[in-house]
Amino acid sequence: MSDYTIIGKRMPRVDSRAKVMGKAKFTADLKLPGMLVGKIKRSPYAHARILNIDTSKALALPGVKAIVTGKDTEGVKWGVFAYTRDQQFIQTEKARYIGDEVAGVAAVDEETALKALDLINVTYEELPAVFDPMAAMASQTELIHEEFPNNINIHVNIDTGHVDENFEKSYYIREDTFVAPEESYFQAEPYAVLARFDHDDCLEVWCPNGGPHMKSKPLSNSFKIPLHKVKIRKIAIGGAFGGRSEICPADYICALLAKKTNCPVKIVFTREENTIATRQGHAMITTHKTGVDKEGRVLARETTCYMDGGAYSSTGPIATSVPFLSMEQAYRMGSVRYNGYRVYTNKPIRGMIRVHGRGFACGLDTQLDMIAEHLGIDPVEMRLRNSRQPGEYTSTKSYVDSCAMDETIHKAVEASGWKEKWGKLPPFHGIGIGTNSVQTGFPMGIRGGSQSFIKFNEDGEATVMSGVVDNGQGNDNMLVQIAAEELGLLPEDIHLVSADTETTSSDPGSYSQVSTFVGGHAVKIAAANCREKLFEVASKILKVDPGNLAAKNRMIFVKDNPEKCVPIKKVVRVSLLNFNSVNAEGGYWPKVDMKREWVSNPYGQMCEAFSFGTTIVEVKVDPDTGQVEVLQATAAQDVGYALNPLVLEGQFEGSVAMGGQGGMLTEYHEWKDGRCLNPTMLDYKLPLACDMPKIKNIIVESLDPKGPYGAKEAGMSIAMSAAQGYSAAVSNAIGVHMDSFPLTPDKILAAIKKKKSKAD
Amino acid sequence: MDKIDISLNINDKPFEVRVAPNDTLLEVLRDQLDLTGSKESCGEGVCGSCTVHMDDKPVRSCLTLALEAQGCNIKTVEGLANGDDLSDLQQSFIDHGAVQCGFCTPGMLMSADALLKSNPSPNEETTRKALSGNICRCTGYAKIVEAVCHAANPHDRCPDCKTDNNSGE
Amino acid sequence: MRLPRFDYLGPDTLDEALDLLATHREEAKILAGGTDLLVRMKKGLLTPKFLISLKALNELSYIKKENDCIKIGARTSIADIIASDLIQKQARALSQACEKIGAVTIQHYRGTIGGNILQNNRCHHYNQSDFHRSGRQACHKDGGKICYARDASDRCNSTCQSDGATALMALGAKIVLASKGHERTVDLANFYTTDGIMPFAIESYELLKEIIVPAEGGSSAYQRLAYRSAIDYPIVCAGVLLKLSASQKNIIDDARIVVGAMSRSPLFLAREASSLKGKKLTDTEAFKKAADASMNSAAAFAVHNVGATLEYRCVMVSEMVFRALKSAAQDAKA
Repeated sequence: MSDYTIIGKRMPRVDSRAKVMGKAKFTADLKLPGMLVGKIKRSPYAHARILNIDTSKALALPGVKAIVTGKDTEGVKWGVFAYTRDQQFIQTEKARYIGDEVAGVAAVDEETALKALDLINVTYEELPAVFDPMAAMASQTELIHEEFPNNINIHVNIDTGHVDENFEKSYYIREDTFVAPEESYFQAEPYAVLARFDHDDCLEVWCPNGGPHMKSKPLSNSFKIPLHKVKIRKIAIGGAFGGRSEICPADYICALLAKKTNCPVKIVFTREENTIATRQGHAMITTHKTGVDKEGRVLARETTCYMDGGAYSSTGPIATSVPFLSMEQAYRMGSVRYNGYRVYTNKPIRGMIRVHGRGFACGLDTQLDMIAEHLGIDPVEMRLRNSRQPGEYTSTKSYVDSCAMDETIHKAVEASGWKEKWGKLPPFHGIGIGTNSVQTGFPMGIRGGSQSFIKFNEDGEATVMSGVVDNGQGNDNMLVQIAAEELGLLPEDIHLVSADTETTSSDPGSYSQVSTFVGGHAVKIAAANCREKLFEVASKILKVDPGNLAAKNRMIFVKDNPEKCVPIKKVVRVSLLNFNSVNAEGGYWPKVDMKREWVSNPYGQMCEAFSFGTTIVEVKVDPDTGQVEVLQATAAQDVGYALNPLVLEGQFEGSVAMGGQGGMLTEYHEWKDGRCLNPTMLDYKLPLACDMPKIKNIIVESLDPKGPYGAKEAGMSIAMSAAQGYSAAVSNAIGVHMDSFPLTPDKILAAIKKKKSKAD
Repeated sequence: MDKIDISLNINDKPFEVRVAPNDTLLEVLRDQLDLTGSKESCGEGVCGSCTVHMDDKPVRSCLTLALEAQGCNIKTVEGLANGDDLSDLQQSFIDHGAVQCGFCTPGMLMSADALLKSNPSPNEETTRKALSGNICRCTGYAKIVEAVCHAANPHDRCPDCKTDNNSGE
Repeated sequence: MRLPRFDYLGPDTLDEALDLLATHREEAKILAGGTDLLVRMKKGLLTPKFLISLKALNELSYIKKENDCIKIGARTSIADIIASDLIQKQARALSQACEKIGAVTIQHYRGTIGGNILQNNRCHHYNQSDFHRSGRQACHKDGGKICYARDASDRCNSTCQSDGATALMALGAKIVLASKGHERTVDLANFYTTDGIMPFAIESYELLKEIIVPAEGGSSAYQRLAYRSAIDYPIVCAGVLLKLSASQKNIIDDARIVVGAMSRSPLFLAREASSLKGKKLTDTEAFKKAADASMNSAAAFAVHNVGATLEYRCVMVSEMVFRALKSAAQDAKA
C-alpha cells in the first residue's frame, strides 16, 4: 500500500484555506443584484384545516413583491417514493404540524418580509391532534392523511423464518422495551436557499444539500421543466448529517417567488426553523425479544419498533429499516422477525439522521449485556460470539465481503485497557462497549451510480468534474486526492468542478455513506482512463511500452528506470500538437440487487460493502447528582482503507461527540402539545469543548475488494457504536441496565436510588 | 428611528456606514461591508459563530449594536491573515484538520486568537475552557484543541505540526 | 434574527442617563452588555421605544473596598469580577457564581453584574419566538391569563436563573437604585416581587447603580447544576454564607442559605439556615439536615419550566445546598 504518493497520507484538506480566511461562501453569504428576502408563513397549529388565506393586506404593504400560497402550486404532492407522495410544498387543505408551510413572501428587506407574514390572514379550523405514535394508531379522530389507516405510514416486515421454533430451542429468552425521544441535527449553518431564473429561464439554486442531483429532480418535476434547466450550484455547506438530502419546501417556495418576481430570492432559516421545519430524528419505542443458546449465541430475535414519523413520509421506508439493518449486519442471528411501524403524528417531519436509530441500537446492545450478565459472560466475549464474520450473508441476504469487526473489538479492548478495568473499577466508575455496522450505500435505482469527467489543460493541470457534494466531511479533498494520485499530479494541480447539476453527471450525493465508494470510485476510474491516454503519448516520447510507465510528482517515468522520464505538462502539449485532446470519463455503479425494495422486498444485496465499528467508553457517575463525566472514548472502525487518516480521525471524533456525548447524554427534544420547547442552541444541549472526553482513534483496515483502494464508509459506525458504548458504560457504572435514552442525570439518579432502595 | 452615519475601524481600515439603531454589528459587517466571514448560526449569543474582536477582546457581534462598535478596533476573521500570509493559528487549523464544514471556524479562530494573545502556550484544559463558548457540530473539538495548543507553542508539537512553522526565524 | 426598531440614547453621564429614564420611563430600557435584553427583544418579548446605553458610563465600572463593604459598580463586567482578588477572598460565592455565567471568552467581557442581577425570569414556554407563542393563548408573562408550566395557576411561575443574584443574596448584598435626584438602598432579599411577570421591585425610572457586598468576614460558597459546562443557565443553584463565632473559631455563629433557579426569585431560607447556629464547622449531619429542609421549602415553589425534571431539580436543591455548606466550611477552616 505504501506505493501510493498521496492516498493514505495525512493530507490537510484543500478547502480549509478558504475557510480559515473567512473566504468560503455559504448560501447566506451570497448576494445577487436585485435580490429579495424570502420568508415562509407557517402553521401555528398542529392539525388544522385551512379555510381561507387572505393576502390582500400583506400585498398592499410597500416593499412586498410577491406572495405565494398553495393556489400557486397546483396541489402536487411530493414523496421520496411513489408510495409515499404525501407532502405538498405549500399546504392547500390542512396543516399537519406546527411549522407546516402555508405561504411564502418576497420583499425588499427582512423587516418588510416579516411584517408581511403577520399581515397574511389565515383562517383555520383546528382539528384534534395526536403527538404520540401509540395514541396515533389508536386514534378515532380525523386521520392525518386519509389514505393511511390508523395513521400507519410505513410497515416494514422482515421474517427469515424459523423464529418461533428457534425460540423453543433457546436456553434463555428475554424481552425488553426501550424508548428514545427525538433528536435534531443542529448543523452549524442554518438552512438557506437562494434561487433565480436566469436569461434562459433556467432555475439556478444555491442551498446546502446532501446531493445536488437529489434536489434537481423534484424541482424539475414541480416546475415541469427539463432537468437541464435546473442548475443546482456548488456552495460551501455547513453540515448536513442526513438532514439536507431531500428537497425542502423552502427550495420550491424560494424558486416560485423568484419566478413570480423575476428577481433572485434568498430565504435564510432561523435556528428554530432549522430545527422544526427541516427534519428530526425519529422517536422510537422498541421491543427486542431475544433467545440464545448456553454460550450466548443468538438463535432467535423478534424486534418490534414504533417510530414517531411526524407529519409526512420523508424517507420513511428507509428510516424504518436502517436501524434493523445495522443490527443484522453487526450481529449474526439464527433467525429474526422484524416489524417496524412508522406512524404519523402532528409533529415535525422525521428523516435520516447520522445516528439512525440510536435508541433502537442501544436497546439491542443493552439487552446483549443483560443476557451476558445472566450467563456470566464478559460483554466483549458476548459480542465476539455473535459478531459478523467476513464471507457471510446477513439475515436479509446481503453478502458481506470485507469485515474486520472482530479486529475492531480486539483493538479497542486493547487500547482502552478493558481487561484491566472490566469488573475491577471502583463504584460508580464504569466501562462499556458498543459495536455496530453501517451500510456503504443503499439501492437507489438509476441514481445509484456516479460518473466523472477529467480534462487536461495545456499547462499540465487537470479539471475534474464530479457530482459528489462536500457537506463538510471532506469529500472535495477526497476527490482531489484520488485524482492527483491516479494522474501523477500534486493536489494543487487539480481543479475540482463538483456538486453542480449543470456541469456534472448524476451522483447519489453524500447519502448513505457512499461518496467515496461510488463517487470517489468514479473519479478513480476516470483518472486511470485519462492516465492511460497520457501513457500512450508518453510511450512514444520515451519509446517504451505504456505498461512499463508510472506517473508521480507531475512526471511520467519508466518504472524500472525512473531517470527516464517526461513531465506530464510536456506529454499534454505533445498530445495537443498531435490533434488529440487529453480527457476521459469514468463511472461506477455498485452491483446491488435492483429488485430489493424497502417495503415490498427487503431481501437481496443491499450494498457492496459494510463497515464495522467498536467504541469503548469509560465514565464516572456522580452518585449524588447523576451527572456523568466521560473519561475516555476509544473508537475503532473498519474503514476498509484509510484514504486520509487525518480526515478520518476528524470523522471519528465528530461521531463520538454527536452519537455518544450528545446523543446519549444531553440531546433530546421536549414538547408541549406539538410545540418544540427547545428548538434553539441555548435549550438543546449540544456538547461543548470542555464536555468532551479524550478520544483514542483506531483505524482498522480490511481492504474491501470493491472499494476504491479498498475504502468503505468511515465514521458512521463510530457514531452508532459510541451511543451504545456510552450507554453501556453508564449502566456499568451504576449497576443498572438503562432502558430509556438519552441517559440524563435525572434518570441516572432515579436508577441509582431505586437500586439502593431494593438493596436496603 | 433615523439612520445614523458612523465610522467603524475594521481590520485596521476605516469604514463609513449608515446604520439604524437596531442594526447589529454582524448585520453591518455581512450585509453592508460584505465581510461575510463572521457567521450567524444561533442569533442569540450562544454558538459563537459571529465572534469578532473589539479592542482585542472577543465579543458576539450578533448581540452588539453597530452603534456601540464605534471607536473600537474591530477585527474579523478576514483580518487574521496578513494578505496571503496566514497567521500561525490559521495554518495550524489547516495542518491539524481542525476545519470540517467550516461554518464555526471563523468564530472559533477569533476566540482562539484572543486566547493566544493573552496566553501563547495554553494547555489543553485552558484551551477547552476558552473555546467553550463556541459550538462546533462536526469535529468533536479534538483537532481544534490540538490546533490551538500547537499553534504557537514550540514545546508542544505533533506530527501534524508543519515543520517550518515556529522555527524561530 | 432582526432586532425590532428602537431609538438609541447614549448618555455621557449617570445624571444624563437618569434624566432620560425620568423622561421615558416604561418606554425605555437600559442596555448594558445586551446578552439578556437583546435576545429577548429579538424574540419579540419586549419592544422598548428607547434603549438607554450605559456604554459611556465608565463611572459605573468599579470594584472597591470601603469600610466593611465591597462596592461594585453595576456595569462592571463579569470578567472583572472574576479577576478581582478582593472578591475572590472576601466574597467567594460571587466569584464562583460569575465563573459559571455564559462562557469564558465571550459573555464575560460583555455581561455585566447589574445585567445578571436584572436578567429577566425565564420559562421554556415563554422564552420562545413570536412564532412559537402564536396559535395558542398568551401566558401571564406574555400579557395573557394562562400558565403553561402549572395548570390553573393564576399567576406567572417564571424562574429567576441568575447566578449572580443567588450568590449576592447569600452574601447579604444590598443594591443601590438611582433615579433623578434620588437614591435608595435596598436589601437584595427585599428586591423581588412575588410576580413572575415583573419580578423586580424597581421603578421604570430607576437604574441599578451599585451593589454593596458586606465583607465583615465569613465564608461563602456557590454551587450550581446545569446540563452542560458552559453557556447554560443553572437548573438549580445555591449560595451560602457561614459566619463564625468570634470566640470559637470552629462554631457557626450565623448562616445564610439562598436557593436559586427554583422560583420567581432566589429563595432566602432564613429558618433553614438558623438551624446551623451554634453547630460545628465539621457537623456535616447538620449541613445535611439544613440542606434537606431547604429542599422541602424550595420544592413548593418550583414548576417544570427550565428543562430537566421537576423531581430532579427538587432533589438537587438539597445536594447543592449541602455541597455549598461543605465548601464554605472547608474554606472557613482554611
